Amino acid sequence: MGGESPAEKALVLLRSRLCNHSYILKHFSDSSDSNYSKLKFTLSNSITEACNNSILLLGPRGCGKNAVLDLVLSDLQVEHSDLISVIRLNGLLHSDDNCALKEIARQLCMEHQLLFSKMASSDDNSHFMIAMLRECGLAHKTIIFVLDEFDLFAQGKQRLLYSLLDALQSVTSQAVVIGISCRLDADQLLEKRVRSRFSHRKLLFLPPSKEYLHRLMGNILSLPTDSSFPYEYAIAYNAKLQNILGDQIFTEIINKLSNADSSLDHFLRFLFCAVCYMDLDSGFLSIENFKTALLSIQRQPKLESIKDCSVLELYILVCMKRLEVKEQNSYNFNSIMKEYKVIHDSFKTSDFYAQNVCLRAFEHLIQHELISYMDNRGQNQSVEFRPVKLLLSSHELYQGLKSNGSCPAILQKLIDREI
Amino acid sequence: MIWKDLGRLSRMIIHLRRLSTLRAVNSQRIAPRELPSSEMYHFFWIRRETKVSDSLLGAENFFFPEEMVDEETPQVTKRMTRSCFSTTHSNSSTETRKKSDPRPLSTTDDSVIGEEPTNLDTLLSCFPGRRLQIVELLHLIGPLNCPMLPLFLYGGASTGKTSILLQVFRHLKRPFVYSSCRTCYNPRILFESTLNQLLLHRRNMENSYSSAKRCERPADFVNFLREALTDFINNLKGYVRKSNLKESVEQGDGRMVYLIFDSVELIRGWDKNSGIISLLFKLHDILKMPDVGLIFISNTSPDTYYSNTGYVEPIPVHFPDYKEDDLIQIFMRNQKNQKLYSSFLETVLRPFSRITKQADELSTAFQPLFEKYCEPISDMGIAPNDDMKRMLFGHLRPHIASALNEVFKVSSVSSVKVEAIEDKARRKDSIMKLGTGDASNELDLHLSISAKYLLISAFLASRNRATLDASLFDSTGGSDSRKRRRKSSGTTMEHKENAEKEMLMKGPGTFPLERLLAVFQCLISVDESSVEEEQQAASQLESEDREMRLMSDVLLQLSTLCNANFISKGGSCPLEGSTRYRCNVSEEMAMKVARRLKFPLSKLSAAKFAELLMVYVFHTGSDSILIFHVDVFQTWGGGISRSPCASISAP
Amino acid sequence: MAPSATPDSPPATPISDNEENSLQPFFVLHKGVPQISERKASGPGKTRRKICLSPTSPTAAEKSKVDVVDEEDGHQYKQLRIEAFDLVWSRIENTIKDVLREINISVFDEIHSWLRQCFSTIRSSGTPGVSEITRSYPLFTDLTCRQIFTGLVFTRNVEFVDDLLTFQELGEHLKSCGCHVCNLSSLDFSTKNGLGGCLRSLLRRLVMVTPETADIAILASWYCEEGNCSPLVVIIDDMERCSGSVLAEFIMLLSEWVIKIPVILIMGITTTIDAPRSLLPSNALQKLCPCKFTLGSPAERMDSIVEAVLLKSCFGFTVGYKVANFLRNYFLKQDGTVTSFIRALKIACAKHFYMEPLSFMARGFLEDDSQSFWSAKCVHLPEGVLKCAFDLPSCEKNKMAEETSENLANGLSDLKNSVKNWASVVLCLYEAGKFQNMLLLDILCEALDPALCNSNALDNHVEIGNDSAKPSSLDHYPLGGQYAGLRKGSFISQAVSRVRDLPLVPLSQLLKNWRKQSKEITELQDKVKELQSMLKHEENGKSLTRAAADTLKRPSRSAWNMEKDTKTVNDKAARLMLYMVRKYLKPIECVPFHEIICFKLVDILQSTLIGDPRRRIQLDLLNSRNYLQCNCCSKSGDAILPSMHDTSILYTLAQEHGDLINLHDWFQSFKTIVLQPITKGKQKVKKSPSSKKGKYMNDSQDTSEALIQARFCRALTELRITGLFRMPSKRRPDFVQRVAFGL
Repeated sequence: MGGESPAEKALVLLRSRLCNHSYILKHFSDSSDSNYSKLKFTLSNSITEACNNSILLLGPRGCGKNAVLDLVLSDLQVEHSDLISVIRLNGLLHSDDNCALKEIARQLCMEHQLLFSKMASSDDNSHFMIAMLRECGLAHKTIIFVLDEFDLFAQGKQRLLYSLLDALQSVTSQAVVIGISCRLDADQLLEKRVRSRFSHRKLLFLPPSKEYLHRLMGNILSLPTDSSFPYEYAIAYNAKLQNILGDQIFTEIINKLSNADSSLDHFLRFLFCAVCYMDLDSGFLSIENFKTALLSIQRQPKLESIKDCSVLELYILVCMKRLEVKEQNSYNFNSIMKEYKVIHDSFKTSDFYAQNVCLRAFEHLIQHELISYMDNRGQNQSVEFRPVKLLLSSHELYQGLKSNGSCPAILQKLIDREI
Repeated sequence: MIWKDLGRLSRMIIHLRRLSTLRAVNSQRIAPRELPSSEMYHFFWIRRETKVSDSLLGAENFFFPEEMVDEETPQVTKRMTRSCFSTTHSNSSTETRKKSDPRPLSTTDDSVIGEEPTNLDTLLSCFPGRRLQIVELLHLIGPLNCPMLPLFLYGGASTGKTSILLQVFRHLKRPFVYSSCRTCYNPRILFESTLNQLLLHRRNMENSYSSAKRCERPADFVNFLREALTDFINNLKGYVRKSNLKESVEQGDGRMVYLIFDSVELIRGWDKNSGIISLLFKLHDILKMPDVGLIFISNTSPDTYYSNTGYVEPIPVHFPDYKEDDLIQIFMRNQKNQKLYSSFLETVLRPFSRITKQADELSTAFQPLFEKYCEPISDMGIAPNDDMKRMLFGHLRPHIASALNEVFKVSSVSSVKVEAIEDKARRKDSIMKLGTGDASNELDLHLSISAKYLLISAFLASRNRATLDASLFDSTGGSDSRKRRRKSSGTTMEHKENAEKEMLMKGPGTFPLERLLAVFQCLISVDESSVEEEQQAASQLESEDREMRLMSDVLLQLSTLCNANFISKGGSCPLEGSTRYRCNVSEEMAMKVARRLKFPLSKLSAAKFAELLMVYVFHTGSDSILIFHVDVFQTWGGGISRSPCASISAP
Repeated sequence: MAPSATPDSPPATPISDNEENSLQPFFVLHKGVPQISERKASGPGKTRRKICLSPTSPTAAEKSKVDVVDEEDGHQYKQLRIEAFDLVWSRIENTIKDVLREINISVFDEIHSWLRQCFSTIRSSGTPGVSEITRSYPLFTDLTCRQIFTGLVFTRNVEFVDDLLTFQELGEHLKSCGCHVCNLSSLDFSTKNGLGGCLRSLLRRLVMVTPETADIAILASWYCEEGNCSPLVVIIDDMERCSGSVLAEFIMLLSEWVIKIPVILIMGITTTIDAPRSLLPSNALQKLCPCKFTLGSPAERMDSIVEAVLLKSCFGFTVGYKVANFLRNYFLKQDGTVTSFIRALKIACAKHFYMEPLSFMARGFLEDDSQSFWSAKCVHLPEGVLKCAFDLPSCEKNKMAEETSENLANGLSDLKNSVKNWASVVLCLYEAGKFQNMLLLDILCEALDPALCNSNALDNHVEIGNDSAKPSSLDHYPLGGQYAGLRKGSFISQAVSRVRDLPLVPLSQLLKNWRKQSKEITELQDKVKELQSMLKHEENGKSLTRAAADTLKRPSRSAWNMEKDTKTVNDKAARLMLYMVRKYLKPIECVPFHEIICFKLVDILQSTLIGDPRRRIQLDLLNSRNYLQCNCCSKSGDAILPSMHDTSILYTLAQEHGDLINLHDWFQSFKTIVLQPITKGKQKVKKSPSSKKGKYMNDSQDTSEALIQARFCRALTELRITGLFRMPSKRRPDFVQRVAFGL
């Protein structure tokens, strides 16, 4: 593919970097106290000592638990290739015990080039798993079970966890169970019999710090000055990048971003957007890219949908607001219509519409989820009688009315009076 | 299964162990590849090279028991290890090629739009007021062969999300797989249709419209999907290489494949499949394939996708509703007489856009209006000048008002008189009491008289408080009931008032069968007079036992009304008497019916109603009521006409 | 005779459709009615069939009447009657079928043409290719084409029974026009099965496969294989009964495919135009592009049936005054179904032919030259038959000379003529009545009233010349206020008055119709003719037209004053009308020998049609001994005996309580009844001692105690199932409530 400009090549490179977590983390695996090195240490220990082990990787979403683990595993694969085999399960997919066992069997078969049969019953599978565990233990081959969304495994009767951890108790077997969860109380979810068999080793993953992020950006966004790019372009690009990073506005942007959500993923998404907006003619990143990226990442959906509302829908929203201010405990479409009529009579507004039209607007609001039914009882009852509630804070409503261009002044007045 | 019989398994495992230990002595590293000994060679360990060689010839009949073989053959490989994908899939894909056409996979009409690619300008011109979104999309999807994070397109109905995305891909000419969660209304269909498109499977008579793979579990889906994707992408790569060899420098489709899931907000509605939505959002991390791009389209904003442990949010792209001038451009797009239509729009668009901003609703509203608008004009080619505009507007004005308040306009080709009625109705449709279809006074509906009475009594029963008559039906001693009466009856009036109000707010109340029948009987007995004049041709023998007759198959009538949705009944089994009914007939409907019967429904106050119930209790003849009846006389100033009391003696 | 008895005859239909949707409220009661009417009514229904098969079993009731003829070869006559019945009824049935089809066919054609143009509009954007159709994503089209064309067919009748066949026929009709048609019913749109359910049944009906996943894509590929050239019509019989949410989903789903698969919905709506609006959410409504069609209302159908069967041509079977009234009221008040009307007619017919010994004569009415037919028949009539013919009450009144066969034949032909004249006059009246949309049924009932005949009889002597009517006579028949025959405000007089103040154009229209109707009666013919000629002159004379015109503006009363002095054509027409009524409107019940063709026994029909199941059930429970005539009950009058059936015992006991029955007392009294020795006669139930005794039963008997409890429970359950009682509620667990009404 020689046809494309260096800018385009740069774009592709940056994007592929941003989409590939292990690349991002690679640079920072060196520091001794990082989760990476801890994890790697424990794992390689349990591999070489041929002992059983179980670890929990806890931390909020998007802090690179999976990424770090992948990195570690890939390194281990390289170091002692034939000594480990990795079985990956995901709570979203395999929370059901039978299908989890099946999946384990399938992956084991795949690892050892066995024939896997779909027809096997679940206890066949579990027998097979135990047998394989023993075998691999005897063959000094460590099986690493990676249970993503660990908390979901802890939902049911936890038969799978029990059988796994129970197998770990036997001397012959040699395996590591790694649970990944974004619930910090994941180990509290376990039953007693399971917890007793669980070695309470936890690794806590935290959102990265500012300067970490800063170094990260420097690394990710800068182009290599080797032959892959024309030399002067790379130099110019990196220089521009540097003074963007140094820019005061930029740091503000970063602060705004990390105030909202300081997780690594969020940050990377932001960078991704920014890179996407890079214009290919100049081929350089600009501060505007980051600004637009920030806007497109940090959205205010409620405000947007209020901005989209038609006048009638705004009327309905305001009516509901008034009803709630009146502490009417539960109200439905009819009471809203009553309120609407009251407003109309008192202010002689120009737009007073038929009930069915209002009903349609009402249903629009429900579709936009600005309002919703109190309960999903009484489907057989017709819509206008089901009690509803407002999903907007009064501030949001206020903001929305202000931002909406076509909002009539009377509504503004009303809402001002309420707040 | 091969390893299924554990006896054999253990036997060879023992053997294995012996070997392994023995190996462990002299060499530290143990490679399982060297392990297998000659006798287990055939059925336990399977060497790659052997399998690749005989996977196609010997595989089915030697390595697989029957229930595997009888399944569809081209997918034999899915039970084998990765290594042999390339071989079998190459041939499966070749046969698919044979089936479809010589063109390579990536551009078969399943996965990419067959039509010629559009260039950017036409794309932008197709969608007025959507420039920002299109450009943003192009940026995010990015140039050829570069990975992307999942996208999340959201915006209200008919803001052009789907069609814009599709056109963008048509413009980019890249392979994608589209599955809408409305068409695929449950997980299984969603999975299978996605897989069908990836595997280029076409449902037809031969395969009796079955899908390529049967997959219900998310787990299976992910596995199948991974296989299918890798296979697909390999083919793509192969194609790209080929296209580069032969120097057809048409901008190739790259080696990315995009999965598009439309209207994902519906997935939340699927019962007990809460996992599915978070699975889709996490699919990118689960697959870990840089060559796969995920795009979600939703009607609702990202913050409406709650899940207890959260999810990795995709990158949001918002499609706001159209502004007025955008709408103008949209409606102007394919109009023959631009000038005329624009003059029409400027009269119509503003008032309507105050009600709704959805383009489709507006267009359906405009269509008939424009015809009305054009009625006075002779030739459609003219460009209207100002006074003509004024004239046209004057012609249109009355229709606008009614059309504003009409949601569901029913045209009718058939009979002229229906048209006339409807027009009349629409005229009469004053701003106050509109919304109820045709407000014509007579109801154009055949109801037998007893059904009408039943309907009215149901209406009464569900609009009035049951407390008023509830105590009539239990036969506790007269005294306490009298006391209760005394207390209540004083306050009844105003109690009644607000009770009425809130009841109407809360919607019609429910009532048991007995109550309905009671009221029904009263109405008949009371209303004899009106019925009398209502058909004077009735002969004697018929009029004396009318009541009995009307009562006779009242349950038939009731079920008829239930079927017609006039009365809705509670869930429980009809055999227990405890079924409760609700009358969901609108006020004016009931009034129409009453008018037919000359029944004074409008005048029927609470007092009157109670008194009717009295009459009923005389029928059933339980004692404690006489007292109450007297009570009623005192409290409500004896507003009771003699007719009910007279009619007591009749049956 | 077999075809007339096969289930495709009208009475069968309501029963079958009741079974069809068996998940109805009040299944027991609802379903009960047709059965019960079957049972009791078919008194006639069954016996008719019996006649067909084995003509030797008249039920006790009819014997008395029949055996007049029975001495001599009654068998043969019975056979004759049966044949006559089959002939007559098959004729009637066919005419009814034709009439109904006539009513529908026009609407069907409308629908079809509409379908065609919808299809062309869908395809106006070009026919999508196979690859495009089977593609998963929607085509790129304009917004407005996303709508589904929907025909809303209004059956202006809440009762769904009459229209079940209508939609089937509609489907057939469209199929024959080369569309893919699929009839769905509300059962396919149940909340239980959801969207999958209705798609599955759609696929089953169209594609003829039951796939494991009901995916609309299957439909698409099937449609391609069909050659995607014809519209795909989905008919939903009864829209109101569908679950709204499922229907809405279905519509949304279709709307994604509507360009690729040209689906056109047709929904039957029994109630008002509000129904779809109240059933569907707005976003689903948005997807519909509705168009309204209206089927003939039951009243119209009724009129056309009556006209065809009872008036247009005499089939040798008519109904008397009371029967007609009963039918009318039953139709108006009980259930407005044409089906049940037809069933009633059939029952009446069968009953008549079974009970009327001479009814075989009725065949003659079907012959072209009935005179000769009768004379031929009558010659061979034995004495007995002749005798019982002349003993008919109708000829008691005006005694004939001697009872000869010719006289009988003449009488019959007179009868036929008079019936013809009567019918044509009624039709003329109806023509007039149409202007203030009267029901034919009403006019018919009035015209059948024997009172009319008497009144005619007494002023028959009033001689009306061709048109030189004396003012005196003129004065006393404007509008028959004091005119004896017509009660004030009766339909006929209304019709006449309407004729008086008709404007010219409709009047000439009316005259045309009259001329058409009164072909048989030459006298009327030429009267009408000259009226028409007068009308011609009037149209030339401007002044009179103006006069006629402003009669319009005036309210009828003043108009009538004005008309007193100026004789307009209206006046003449009205007088002609009255004259017709006088002369020819001779109710059949005043004509000799009318019993031969006229059915008058209303009470049989009544008991047949109005099953009143609940009442019946309660009555039967109260005196079950009349049904199972066991000797034990027969001797002791209405005492409660242990030998009686438990359920009836229980119910009889329940009579002593109020609406709320204490279970314990009830059980105790039940036990005392059951335990008392059969031998000793029955006294009033004494609760207290017996119940005490019941309490302190020793161990040997508590098996029987359990047995009694079991019987009690079973009986109670049966009572509950018949819907007479309601189980104990939470509030008062020891009481059952009786669902008391009807008795």
